[in-house]
Amino acid sequence: MINAMKFKTLFLSAIFVFTGNCLAQVPTGDVLVRGGTVLTVTNGTLENTDVLIQNGIIAEVGENLSAPQGISVVDATGMYVMPGIIDAHSHIGISNVNESSAPVTAQVSVGDVLNPYSIAIYRALAGGVTSSHVMHGSANVIGGQNETIKHRWGLLDPDELRMADAPRTIKFALGENPTRVHGQGSNKRPASRMGVEYVLRETFAKAERYQEAWAQYEEEAKSNPRAISPAYNSQLEVMSDILTGDILIHCHSYRADEILMLLDVLEDFGVDHITFQHVNEGFKIAPELAEFGASASIFADWWAYKFEVYYLTAYNAAILTRNGVLTSINSDSGELNRHLYHEAAKSQKYGGLSDTEALSLITINPAKQLGIADRIGSIEVGKEGDIAIFDRHPLSIYAVNQKTIVDGLIYFDIERDADDMRLSVDPESPIETVVLHTHDDNHRCLHEGTLDLYDFLESNQ
Amino acid sequence: MRINRRIITAVLSCAVLFGTSASAQVNSGESIPDVTRTIVLTNARVVQAPGQIQERTNVIIRDGLITTIAPDAAIPFDALEIAADSFTVYAGFIDGLSHTGIPEPKEPPNRERPDDPAFPPDQQAGIQPQQDVRNLLDPEDKRIIAMREAGFTAAHVVPRGRMLPGVGAIILLAGDDANEMVYRGETALYAQLAGARRMYPGTDMAVLAKLRQLYREAARRQKIEQLYAANPAGLERPQYDPVLYAMFPVLDGDRPVFFNTESVLDLHRVLAVQQELGFPMVLTGLTQSFDAVDKLKSANLPLLLTLELPEEPEESEQEQPSDSTEAAPTDAAVELPQIEAPDYDADFRVSSLIDVAAEKENLEARREIAYKAHVGNARMLESEGLTFGFSTGSVKPGEALGNVRKMIKEGLSEDAALAALTTTPAQILGLTSSMGTVEEGKLGNLVVTKGSIFDEKAEIRYVFVDGRKYEIEPPRKRSSGNADASENPAGTWNLTISTPDGDIGGTLTIEGSGDDWSGSLSVEIEPGALPLEYIVLSGNELTFSFDVPNMGTVESSLILDRESLSGSFDVPGFGVATVSGTRTSDPEMSTQLQ
Repeated sequence: MINAMKFKTLFLSAIFVFTGNCLAQVPTGDVLVRGGTVLTVTNGTLENTDVLIQNGIIAEVGENLSAPQGISVVDATGMYVMPGIIDAHSHIGISNVNESSAPVTAQVSVGDVLNPYSIAIYRALAGGVTSSHVMHGSANVIGGQNETIKHRWGLLDPDELRMADAPRTIKFALGENPTRVHGQGSNKRPASRMGVEYVLRETFAKAERYQEAWAQYEEEAKSNPRAISPAYNSQLEVMSDILTGDILIHCHSYRADEILMLLDVLEDFGVDHITFQHVNEGFKIAPELAEFGASASIFADWWAYKFEVYYLTAYNAAILTRNGVLTSINSDSGELNRHLYHEAAKSQKYGGLSDTEALSLITINPAKQLGIADRIGSIEVGKEGDIAIFDRHPLSIYAVNQKTIVDGLIYFDIERDADDMRLSVDPESPIETVVLHTHDDNHRCLHEGTLDLYDFLESNQ
Repeated sequence: MRINRRIITAVLSCAVLFGTSASAQVNSGESIPDVTRTIVLTNARVVQAPGQIQERTNVIIRDGLITTIAPDAAIPFDALEIAADSFTVYAGFIDGLSHTGIPEPKEPPNRERPDDPAFPPDQQAGIQPQQDVRNLLDPEDKRIIAMREAGFTAAHVVPRGRMLPGVGAIILLAGDDANEMVYRGETALYAQLAGARRMYPGTDMAVLAKLRQLYREAARRQKIEQLYAANPAGLERPQYDPVLYAMFPVLDGDRPVFFNTESVLDLHRVLAVQQELGFPMVLTGLTQSFDAVDKLKSANLPLLLTLELPEEPEESEQEQPSDSTEAAPTDAAVELPQIEAPDYDADFRVSSLIDVAAEKENLEARREIAYKAHVGNARMLESEGLTFGFSTGSVKPGEALGNVRKMIKEGLSEDAALAALTTTPAQILGLTSSMGTVEEGKLGNLVVTKGSIFDEKAEIRYVFVDGRKYEIEPPRKRSSGNADASENPAGTWNLTISTPDGDIGGTLTIEGSGDDWSGSLSVEIEPGALPLEYIVLSGNELTFSFDVPNMGTVESSLILDRESLSGSFDVPGFGVATVSGTRTSDPEMSTQLQ
């Protein structure tokens, strides 16, 4: 608590002037970032350029801007200013990942269990990441709803992590995870890829019937005050919102055949929006993905950790991009997210993407996939003041992030990075002086799944 | 004589059944009391309510009620008189929420996996809003006596379980059978963020989703019920559902949900779902709520703070390298606000391995701050103008009052502490007309202490529940056990147990070594050897307990001194008996005998 208070004092009131509760009661700040090389991502690279953020919003981008009186100035001379990095696939800052008890759990949401105390949020800031798409795990064919958060480290109300009004999204999962958890684990459907398709079609069909039943009831209720409504079903409510396009699907997937299967299912049920997550074999079906308008969010070069992910190439990002597929690179990890700029740079080594294309993979492209590109993902006037300042070009292997700004407030400053930045301490916790890795370092996709990913790897060695 | 009494009992019981009995007898444990039901405490200091004190006054309790509080009140002819000149009288404590009287199941409930973990039976998934705690009460539960000895006279108790364990009741912590203990039923629905094991709902997020589903579907079903009740013609018959129908009183706003929180994250989550669905709620637990004071203020809900506190961290015994404290942070430019913790450096940075000891020291200082924040939670709530009652949750009864004293040491006012034990839970539970203060006409629920209750040295001498007197033995004096001395208890000992009825001889046999002891006790008055349990040797102090048929569990503490021992047996209902003994065979001999 003391540290949390310290944090607020240190970063919010001591340095910046509070601007009140203008954005959904989340604090915002004013700052002038002076003289940096600004990588706007959407509007080229601007040398010796200032970025002025007021009330948390980028007010001006240009040379030699006049500083409003009393504004805090960050000298970025010789440094690189880029839009805050967006991680399109993460499990940080939440208390639960998988509700693995059922193959369909559309009614649950990780947004209900946000944890602003998770140190992984601060560590993400240290890597220049200002927003994460925190997702339900991949144990279920239709998992829970996800939440898009901003890394406002030090604010203790979980609601203050939310990116207000970001589109709702939901996790789907194909392939080995759901078949292992429910097929092998509980001897229930799905036990095969065919079963996965069955579960998808059955659930969408139920949702259609649910919509029809409600439409019929509402029609009847106009003339009959004693009309009886259908039973309330929170799961099918969510499924209906997918059918109407109010919820965007983000689907854990690896193999080309199952990805094409889901495209067929979505076409049959009239669903247009989908981002495939991982999508290792995306390079095989890039034209088909582009034709559907599906997006891809991938690992740069991580594969072969189980059978269905053996077939991959580090050229995936470049092939998808060159074929017109909106592509992002994500971390799925509380460790990898700290150097997503390295991951993006790999697309230059493998496939020769331009600087802007590579940076787009971790900024404007994930923003588009999450439906928030009008608010973040590039440095443009009118967008939210989420910025990372690197000492070298962020695609350089030597780059180190110096400051991370969210809503015009500095939430990470390498100069103020004490050893113990936790917001809360368990008074009964043992003091351990050596910590080589934490829980958050692990890839948590199957966390709380019936079968542990690592158990599985062990047993398949 | 005996037969006559049984007949009278039977007649009276019938009378009760048919509702024609004299009401005075209905509340009594026995049809015809053996002893007087009139008690007077004379010349007592009476704390009638927090901050409201009467010196040197008489308190008369008659037939379960406080009838008179006056300095010159005449002592009734039939009264048992207790000279209370050196005693202070408080209202009996009210426990806002606990499982007192509901013993923990000996075996964990059904761990079997349901046929389909996606759709388990409600009961298996911990969804039992229809369960009534009155059907689960066990007057033999040991926690009832322990809580009473800690000053609690009434408790709001709820079933154990997971997500929705059931409906609570107010009980009095006295009575020979469950019905007699019940003061009021159907008080509240108990809820917690506790998922089922390996079935839906398994996680907190699923519990929240399930709660929304139950609540909204219950609302729909209630509407259909109302439509059908108004006119069934032309409507399909609504089908009864015990779980959904048990939610109706909550939907009507007649039955609050007592929602437990074990962390500040729970608190945020519970508040969010309550504000979304709008059910009446009392927030309980509130651990770590110091981090969400503003939210609690704007929520404006009744609050019950748990008396559980974290274990106090132990100071590291490790010697610090002499140069470690000189390892200053490398970056002196950082300005940090002053924190009221001289030992803690919020800007600490390890520059090399030699700093590790200093880092450990710093982390320990941080942990100490965190511990104090938890103990100071009550003070924080009070200083922010939030009113709260206490609940005991699963705190050890013997630690309840001690934890209140720790909170007072961290700044909680004594008046707020007393209010949280008496008047505030009475308000939250709707008991102000009968409990919570020492006033004429209220239930005879009192705590009588020697010394001010929040003084470390205060002793609870009497507890009155429903007008029944319970004399509390002063806590056994801490034995003069010496942790550094080492004695071997193995062998056979001749014992002399001194009781008010004369000395009783016995033989104590102890076997084993290290941490693994076993033994038995035979005494003249009991046939056969009584097996010893929980045998612990700490330095030269040997403690154990044993069950005596028809008497209960006797706690024993003996100090060993080579060939002799001395100590005490704490016999429930009888008091402390002193014990002395001499060794008749030594460890070697007992080993040889094996």
